[in-house]
Amino acid sequence: MEKPHKSLLRTEAVEYLYPEQVTLPAGKSSPVTLHFRIQPNLHINSHTPREQYLIPTVFSIPESSGVRLADATYPAGADFTLPADPNEKLLVYSGDFAIETKIVATPGDHLVEAKLRYQACDQNACMPPKTITVPIDVIGK
Amino acid sequence: MTPRPPIPPSSYNRLKRSSPLKRNTIVIGITLLILATFAWAGWANWEYRKQAAERALAAASHAELVPATAGDVSAEASRLTGNPAPDFTLQDLSGASVSLTSFKGKPLLINFWATWCGPCKIETPWLIELQNEYGPKGFQIIGISTEGNDLKPDDKDGWAHDKAAIAKFVKEQRMQYPVLINGDSLVGKYGGLDVMPTSVYVDRNGKVVAVQLGISSKEDMAAHIEKAIASGS
Repeated sequence: MEKPHKSLLRTEAVEYLYPEQVTLPAGKSSPVTLHFRIQPNLHINSHTPREQYLIPTVFSIPESSGVRLADATYPAGADFTLPADPNEKLLVYSGDFAIETKIVATPGDHLVEAKLRYQACDQNACMPPKTITVPIDVIGK
Repeated sequence: MTPRPPIPPSSYNRLKRSSPLKRNTIVIGITLLILATFAWAGWANWEYRKQAAERALAAASHAELVPATAGDVSAEASRLTGNPAPDFTLQDLSGASVSLTSFKGKPLLINFWATWCGPCKIETPWLIELQNEYGPKGFQIIGISTEGNDLKPDDKDGWAHDKAAIAKFVKEQRMQYPVLINGDSLVGKYGGLDVMPTSVYVDRNGKVVAVQLGISSKEDMAAHIEKAIASGS
């Protein structure tokens, strides 16, 4: 068996890139694409992993934030195979990825602390599931 | 010496008349060139600083990745090696309390795993085979489910869901060695447990002889088990 090279993570596996601020027509469902970056050598499960036991990536916006998540379209993901089990194909995100959302904002300035829940692994090990805050300043006009 | 021919008056006058204009043009041209050079240098410097700042920001926000090979351990986990395995009492799936001390005198593999962990699922059949192979020598594997869910003690639904998922995994994988739950409560004692699976090899005297983060191979695990069996004999 090939000797693995394993990496241990010291900070967040996923980083929110942008946008920091969006201005939307109030009360109207508007498209907002959110961009994220996964640290090198890591992957996270897609929104629809093939195996039920795997934790999917999910974006959410807390209620009572003045902003509602009307819809979210996730990337399909890419096939990934662990060296120790070449027969099982995982469906994962790696590198940069984007979630296309539709957001409805009430009038006003809302500092939304949206959430992204994911579970990251490298080729030989996994880290516990994590929920990071996705800060977005949503202005409804 | 041949005398220089005189400049024709008309040409001389033209040169004399146009000289200040040309000089001014040249001076203005040079000034503009210098200003342009300064402007370009300033822009280039700003752009360089901007890129450097972006690189620094990117470097700061990136994970600190610690290269490791099979059997290597993080600083937190490595401090376990050579020391007594921290004691614990956890429940098994039937609700019975099980302590590390109940395995006193046996070489052990304490295997921290999670239901959501793909590599753990790959490793489980190896563990079953290794238990069968080394069990007759007194060796024992203890599986400890470590879901990392941060469930609160009063979250009955959460714990019930967690327990059901663990039981399902144990049944599907036909894990016949003892499986305990709530490994998250041992995070402080066992070095963070932020990497699954984590395998802690303990000799019959209760001393940790090796810690392995992630999976490598069944052969590597067998080597660690043999070390645990040989140590303290």
